[in-house]
Amino acid sequence: MPEAMIFDAVRTPRGKGKSSGSLYTVRPVDLLATALRAIRDRNHIDSAEIDDVIAGCVTQTGEQGACIARFAALTAGFDLRTAGVTLNRFCASGLEACNQAAAMVAAGFEDLVIGGGVESMSRVPMGSDGGAIWDPQTQWEVGSVPQGVSADLLATLRGFSRHDVDSFAVESQRKAAAAIERGAFAKSLVPVLDRNGLTMLDHDEFPRADTSVEALAKLKPSFELMGRQFGLDALPKPVYPQVERIEHVHHAGNSSGIVDGAGAILFGSREKGEALGLKPRARIKAVAAIGSEPMLMLDGPIPVTRKILQRAGMQISDIDLFEVNEAFAAVPMAYLQEFNVDPAKLNVNGGAIALGHPLGATGCMLLGTLLDALEEHDKTTGLVTLCIGGGMGVATIIERV
Amino acid sequence: MSEAHQNGALRCEFDGQTGVATLTLAMPKVNIINDAFAEGLADGLQWALAQAGLKGIILTSAHRDFCAGADIDKIYRMRDPAAVFEATTQLSRLYRSIELAPVPVVAALNGTALGGGYELALACHRRIAVNDPRLKVGLPEVQLGLLPGGGGTARLPRMIGIQAAAEAILQGQEFRAAKALQAGLIDELVIERDGLLPAAHEWITQHPKPKQPWDQKSFRIPGPQPGSADARNLFMAASAMLRKKTAGVFKAPEAALSAIQEGLSLDFDRALEVEARYFVGLVVGDQSKDMIRTLWFFRQAALKHEGLPTLAAGQHPGITKVAILGAGMMGAGLAYICADAGYEVVLKDVNDDALARGVAHFEAELSKRKRHLDDAGRKQIRARLTPSLELSALAGADLIIEAVFENLELKHRVSQEAEPQLSQTGIWASNTSAIPIGDLAAVSAHADRFIGLHYFSPVEVMPLLEIVRGPDTSDETLARCLDFTRRIGKLPIVVNDGYAFYTTRVFSSYIMEGAQLVAEGHDPVLIEWAARQAGMVVAPLQVFDEVTLTLGLKASSQGRKYLGDAAVDTDAIRLIQTLVEDHQREGKAGGAGFYDYKDGRRTGLWSGLADLVHGEPAQTGVDYLARRLLLVQAVQAVHCLEQGILRNERDGEVGAIFGIGFAPNSGGPFAWLDRQDLRAVVRELDELRERCGVRYTPPAKLREMAENNLKFFPDAP
Repeated sequence: MPEAMIFDAVRTPRGKGKSSGSLYTVRPVDLLATALRAIRDRNHIDSAEIDDVIAGCVTQTGEQGACIARFAALTAGFDLRTAGVTLNRFCASGLEACNQAAAMVAAGFEDLVIGGGVESMSRVPMGSDGGAIWDPQTQWEVGSVPQGVSADLLATLRGFSRHDVDSFAVESQRKAAAAIERGAFAKSLVPVLDRNGLTMLDHDEFPRADTSVEALAKLKPSFELMGRQFGLDALPKPVYPQVERIEHVHHAGNSSGIVDGAGAILFGSREKGEALGLKPRARIKAVAAIGSEPMLMLDGPIPVTRKILQRAGMQISDIDLFEVNEAFAAVPMAYLQEFNVDPAKLNVNGGAIALGHPLGATGCMLLGTLLDALEEHDKTTGLVTLCIGGGMGVATIIERV
Repeated sequence: MSEAHQNGALRCEFDGQTGVATLTLAMPKVNIINDAFAEGLADGLQWALAQAGLKGIILTSAHRDFCAGADIDKIYRMRDPAAVFEATTQLSRLYRSIELAPVPVVAALNGTALGGGYELALACHRRIAVNDPRLKVGLPEVQLGLLPGGGGTARLPRMIGIQAAAEAILQGQEFRAAKALQAGLIDELVIERDGLLPAAHEWITQHPKPKQPWDQKSFRIPGPQPGSADARNLFMAASAMLRKKTAGVFKAPEAALSAIQEGLSLDFDRALEVEARYFVGLVVGDQSKDMIRTLWFFRQAALKHEGLPTLAAGQHPGITKVAILGAGMMGAGLAYICADAGYEVVLKDVNDDALARGVAHFEAELSKRKRHLDDAGRKQIRARLTPSLELSALAGADLIIEAVFENLELKHRVSQEAEPQLSQTGIWASNTSAIPIGDLAAVSAHADRFIGLHYFSPVEVMPLLEIVRGPDTSDETLARCLDFTRRIGKLPIVVNDGYAFYTTRVFSSYIMEGAQLVAEGHDPVLIEWAARQAGMVVAPLQVFDEVTLTLGLKASSQGRKYLGDAAVDTDAIRLIQTLVEDHQREGKAGGAGFYDYKDGRRTGLWSGLADLVHGEPAQTGVDYLARRLLLVQAVQAVHCLEQGILRNERDGEVGAIFGIGFAPNSGGPFAWLDRQDLRAVVRELDELRERCGVRYTPPAKLREMAENNLKFFPDAP
């Protein structure tokens, strides 16, 4: 059975996810097309060799409807024979797309597949695609709570104070600033240009390097009003009756940033790579997905890590570097607490708190970031995982070659 | 030229000159929605629509109420989903045909329109009501475990917006005339009854071709649009607020919210179908059956004093002047409700301060509750009150209600001192919550005119009155007190004598079990949640704090005399003692109890509780704790029935729900037991007796019922 290799990883910079953001005027299909073009052009590939583009995108409505992956491929001028499919596994969509691309190669069904993702949160707001999750009947039969309340519940269950989560956030900002400073992202970042060739954005514009714990302490907890006044804190009670009161600690400064961006990773078999003169950078060692408790929603990385390690016959100590998406500070903090991982191995170039989390793209971006970090620090094995709405976890283990 | 027509439900008239047909709901006795109503209405509409020159239709009523809703007896009996769906669909279609009529149809509300009766008005193009203080409109179905099945969940939101409609329906709100107009439930108010039909005629003339808003092109519901982010957030918040309030215990408001939300994205006729399906689910389920039986049938029967002694025809109750002894919150509150009911009231205490506080409470209640009256009106009520420190003020009282501290010797002293002030046929009543009336009456000169009137706090709000017959209390005394009860608007149960009667017995078993569970080492957070999950209106530790832990200690030392040492030398009492005596935690009023308080509000369970208990319980968890809390109460309820303290199950259910907040969703302790396999319950109680104590011993009556497969309500559907 062929192995799935990673040949290249690119991403656009992340623009601020509001109407003042640098990528606000860029159609989402153009964002993804930017990443797809970069993969094709910098690797000098005839796009006809690419079987499929699998792209994650969460809010698939309006401009992000109608199978954006296919239309991005066409927009990028790919050969007509390159198919496209768009998928939604919420926040892990980008990694899911990569896992499915890798799986098609590893299964031997396809030879060269792009796994990627895109999200323009400034143009297509999160949640605007609706869904049963908002229905009262789903509340009665399944139960759900907005993720901010879940994040605060996670912090309460794990004993993380406001100071704890704010300190974590400051660290993320510091690591991102240092990475940007030394050009750690230069290999993967591709600028977004307009049709005249003018640069619209060539760097991540979301980070706030000057963030401090004192400054963050001034922010009001974002989910306290909805939790206390509008009763949302009552929703998880049947599942977590032992929690007398949810302590609200998360706010915009210690939660993932709302941004625009796209990413793409080229997966293929070794043979195909050789035939095209592509040098593999890493192999996909294992992929996994799992469901977890939907009210808490955000601790899926923990069981999926157990699952993937077990399937791969590995221990947590075999992993050199981790990328655990910073959906909210409590998420990677819970991960560290649970597995007793050395924090120095986690999100070494900062995370979504500093850089932003373009929903459908992040998973793909984190995989690329992990690969860059493994190469920069000359490490071998990395694990990337993200928490997911509805209570799920997805993970990937890669090994440099 | 006028035509007339009549059927089993309607009287119909057509005025050829104005072109208006007036259909008057005139069912025998009262307009309720059943097959005869539906047939009659359909027939009447058909007749009207066949009249040449028809310009409009007015729907009104020959009775005091317009239409107070559906035939509850019929709904109570129905268990077949197909039959309920068919009947609901028929009615919905009938109402739909009204709003699709080629001429304007006006609802002339001469009286109350509730539930299906109001839904009939909603299906009309215009709702005009008379500004009568007794008139009420609304959709109260959730209060009986149902939802508005005649189009209310489809029409009301489209008329007044999602938020307002959801609040009105989920809370089962009833609106008086002015509020109904303000909220948009009615369109127009007329001052006099005579003005109704002319106003209806006027509207018909001005609007020859009306369409309901939702039948018009480019209709937009007021407020957030269905499918919008705002609407999504609204429904999420509404779901959360409902769960916060009800802990997911009540099915009806949840089904109603689902029906509202799902129906809004559909074509109107299909929205009605969605509503019907949710309605069916509630009708055929157990919860509505149990709630209807107690909250409707039993409550009505209790209000009508069914099965109780009545005054002879033409006999006067002979109560004009009432005296209240003890000007605490209860006494002052009692004085207020008596004065409001038209009685002359004397409020007596033994010192100035206490009396002054009592009067202040009276006046505060007066200004709070009588805002709709003018100064003169409030003065009139205040004038009925005579506060006094003097015994002589009581002279000639027809009823003296003693509301002093819960102490036999004190009550004896007070009654010996004051009883002679009663009028010739005067009645002495004690507000005691536990001391047997027979014991209190030992010093009475006329035990036949000695009775217990046990009220609940706050007396201005709590509807229940537990009337306790002493061994010598006469039927006549009881009948006169029942008349008094009706005039002050209370819901009575009549029980026989015994320590703690019924409600206190069940209530104290509940709060003591809460304390006992803490003492056993169970997580107090889980204890409180278990109670709410079980349907109890207030969790045990919270309510224990509210009645105060010191009261609990006093009551238990009083209880020692009647129940023996074993009943009182418990871990629970020892824990309460420790809290009160070693930690000065006396309850909410004292600023600390099981809970911490800040500015009078609970901030959380006291973290020091864990240090006071030792050991881990062998078995715990929300389900287990809920069983303990409900079973301990149910056992006491059965004992009261068995011992004849409760005359019947009806009083047990009514007393439990309205007096002490026993799970209203269950219908009461007896209904709760009926829903279970009694053999399994008895086995469970035997086990609990082994492990937890004799208070769980299954009563003989329960064991017998279990063995013979009997139910408390064998005729329940």
